[in-house]
Amino acid sequence: MRAFRLWKPHWTLARTLASAAKPKKTDIFIVGGGPAGLTLAAAIKTSPYLSTLTTTLVDAGDLKGKTAQFYHEPPEKFTNRVISLTSQSRKFLEDRVGVELMQDRLQAFDGLYVSDGCSDAGMEMERDSMGHMIEILNIQSSLLHRLSQLKASNLNLVDQTKVVNIEHKDPKDPQSWLLVTLSNGDVFETRLLVGCDGFNSPVRKFSKIESRGWFYNRFGVVATMKLDFLPFKTRGWQRFLPTGPIAHLPLPGDNATLVWSTTEPLSRLLVSIDPEQLALLVNAAFVLEDVDMQYYYKQLEQGTITTQELELDINHRTDLIYGKLGNESLIDEIYPPLVSSIDGTSRGRFPLKLSHADSYVADRIALVGDAAHTTHPLAGQGLNMGQGDVESLVKALESASKRGLDLGSLLTLEPYWADRYPYNNMLLGVVDKLHKLYSTDFGPVVAVRSMGLKALQALGPIKDFMMARVSGPSQ
Amino acid sequence: MWKVARRSYTKFNPDFLKPASDGVRSNLKLSTSASQDEINHFTELAPSWWDVWGPQRILHKMNLVRMDFIQKTLRDQLKAAPDTYVPGFDYKAILPPQISSAIEEQLNQDIRTQLYQQQLSVLDIGCGGGILAESLARLPFVAKVDGIDLTPECIEIARSHAEKDPALAPKLDYRVQPLEEVTGTYDLVTCLEMLEHVAQPSEILRHAWSKLNKDGILMVSTINRDPVSWFTTIFMAEQVLRLVPRGTHHVSKYINSGEIKQWFKEECVGQYQVLDCKGSMYLPMKGWVNHDCSDIGNYIMAIKKIE
Repeated sequence: MRAFRLWKPHWTLARTLASAAKPKKTDIFIVGGGPAGLTLAAAIKTSPYLSTLTTTLVDAGDLKGKTAQFYHEPPEKFTNRVISLTSQSRKFLEDRVGVELMQDRLQAFDGLYVSDGCSDAGMEMERDSMGHMIEILNIQSSLLHRLSQLKASNLNLVDQTKVVNIEHKDPKDPQSWLLVTLSNGDVFETRLLVGCDGFNSPVRKFSKIESRGWFYNRFGVVATMKLDFLPFKTRGWQRFLPTGPIAHLPLPGDNATLVWSTTEPLSRLLVSIDPEQLALLVNAAFVLEDVDMQYYYKQLEQGTITTQELELDINHRTDLIYGKLGNESLIDEIYPPLVSSIDGTSRGRFPLKLSHADSYVADRIALVGDAAHTTHPLAGQGLNMGQGDVESLVKALESASKRGLDLGSLLTLEPYWADRYPYNNMLLGVVDKLHKLYSTDFGPVVAVRSMGLKALQALGPIKDFMMARVSGPSQ
Repeated sequence: MWKVARRSYTKFNPDFLKPASDGVRSNLKLSTSASQDEINHFTELAPSWWDVWGPQRILHKMNLVRMDFIQKTLRDQLKAAPDTYVPGFDYKAILPPQISSAIEEQLNQDIRTQLYQQQLSVLDIGCGGGILAESLARLPFVAKVDGIDLTPECIEIARSHAEKDPALAPKLDYRVQPLEEVTGTYDLVTCLEMLEHVAQPSEILRHAWSKLNKDGILMVSTINRDPVSWFTTIFMAEQVLRLVPRGTHHVSKYINSGEIKQWFKEECVGQYQVLDCKGSMYLPMKGWVNHDCSDIGNYIMAIKKIE
C-alpha cells in the first residue's frame, strides 16, 4: 500500500510529461486516406455547412507524393486495383464533391453477362452506363487534386504517418473529446473521429464496437489483361465457377481487368504460373466445363503440362463447344473477348471475407466503408457501399450543423447509422447468399439456380428492379 | 362526447390570463419563479441531463425540431437579394429537376449568406442543462447566448458541459437568475418547454417580451391543456413508456396556444405579429415532427415585436 502511495506522484508526473506536447484541436479527424476517407474530406470541404470545420486526415501511405502524382503523370499501364463505380457514386463524386476523374482511364459499361459454370444458364443485364470501371488510384488522385484545388486552410493532410494511440481526454467521461497520438509525435484533440481505416480498423477496435462475420476461404486474384481485339460491346462478364466467380471487366481500349475469386491453393497457383498460361486459363474458364478446368489446375500444379500443350488442348475443347452452339454469332454474345496477354507483375491476391460492425457510431466516433463492413467482390459493391456511407454521414453532419448540435454526439451520428445499416446489411446478405448458392456443383442446386437465373432473364421488370438496387436508378 | 370531455377538462383555467394578484406575489419571492417542487424535480434530473440515451432523451430529440423551427423562422424573415432570380411561378412543378434544384440552391445560398451575416444575441429562459442554449450558441449567426434558470444544479451541469466544447466558451453564459433581474435586451428570446413548469406564466411572458429588441423574436413552446396532451405527455410518456421522468408534467399548468395569442391580443395591442405556430408530435421510430394543428398536444410559436 505504501509502495503504491510512493508511486502515485511519479505516475502522475510521467503522464503530465507524456502529454506535454500541446494537443492541436480539430473538429473532424479522419483516419485513412482511401477513397472513403478522401471523399469524406472533400465532401466536408465542399459543403456550405461544414467547410468551416477544421479537418485533419491521416494516412500511412505516400498520399501527397506517389498517389497525388498519379493524376499528373499517369503510368501507361493500368494498375490492378480496379473497381466498378455505380452511377450514383459517380454522381456524388462529380456533381456534389466536384471531382474531375481522369476520363481517359475510366470505362463505362452498358451491361453484364452472368453465366453459370455448371450449366448453360445465363442472364444478360443491359443498362446504359450501368457502372464505370475505374482504378482506385484514379479516384484517390482525383480527390487529392480536388482537395489541392480547394486550398482549404483548415484542412490538414498528414501522410506517411500512423495513429499510435487513441484515448478519451477524460478517461472517465465517454463523451469527452478524443486525443489521437500520431507516430510523428503530434497529438490531436478531436470532436469527431472517423474511422475510414479498413477491415482491421484501429478506430473500431478502440470504440469496442463488435464486428461479426466470417472468412469465405476464398481469395480474389486480380490482374490487368490485354485483349485480342477491341470488344464490340463494352460489358462485363461474370461466370460462377464452383470454386468462385470469375469476372472479366472492361477498361478503355483493348484493356480489361480480371477479378477471379477462388480457393486459397488455386489463388496461389494463378499468381505463380506463367502469365501466358493464366491468360489461357481465363479464356478457358468462361467456356469450358469445370472438369476440364480441374484437369488443367492439376496438371499445372504438378508441372506436367507445357504452355503449348495447354493452348492446344484448350483450343481443341473450346472449338468443340463453339461447334455445338450452331450459330457462330452467338460466340460474341455469350463469351467475353479473348485475352491475348496478362501483365504478370499486375497480379495480386487478397482474402475474401464478410464482416459487419454491430454499429457504425459511438460517442465521438463514426465508422465508414471497410471499417464498418466488408463484402465478397462478386457484386462490385464494396467501394460503392463506402461512398454511400460518406454521402449519408455528410448529410447527417450537415443537418446536425444546421441544428447546432455537437458533431461528435450520438444525436448527430445516429441518423447516419440508421440510414446505412439496413441497406448495407441487405447487400451483404444478398451477396453472401449468392456466393453460397453458387459455390456448389451439387446437381439439384445447380438445376434450381439455373432455372432461377433463366426465369430472371425472362422477367424484365424484376431484373430492372435488381439492377436499380445495385447501380442506382435508371438515367 | 369529445366536446364534453374536452370542455370538462379545460374548465379549470389556472388564472393564466389574470395578472398576478398581490396575494400570490407575497407568497413567492418573485413573480416569475417556479415552485419549490419543480426546482426539486429538476435538481434530481440534473446529473443525467446530457445522457442522450437517458431520461432526457425525448427532450434532446425534441430539440432537433425546435432548432429546425427556429432556423426556418429566422430564414423566412429574410428576402432574396435583388440580383437573385426568384421565379414568380411554381418553378418546382414546371422546370426540369436540374434547373429547379439549381434555382433553389441559389436562393438557399443567398438567404444563408444574409443569415450568416447577422450576429444575434439570445436569451434562453429556463435553460435547464443547456440543451437549447448550446445548440443556439453553435450557430454561426448567433453572437452570444445567455441562459438563465432557477435550479442551481442544472446551471452547474450546463456550465460543466459547455466547458467541454471550446467553441462554446466565448459565446455562452449561464446564470442562476430570475427573469426580472436580467438587464439588457435581445434579438431572440426563447422560452421553450418551460411555461408549463411555472406558477405565473403570464408574468414570464410579460418580462420575456420586455427583454426583446425591436424586430426581435420570442419563441414560446409548451403544451395545450387537452385530453390528448394528458394522454401523450403524462399517461403514455410518463406512466406507460416511461420516456419522461414521472412528475415532470401537470395538466393544470398546461396552456392552450389560443390563450397565448389571446394574451398578446390584450396586452400587446399592435406591437406583435405571430410569425408561425406549429404543433409537434412524437412518432415512435421517427422522432418529433412538426405539424400544422397547433391546438392539440405540444406546440411552438414565434412572435415578432414589431414596435
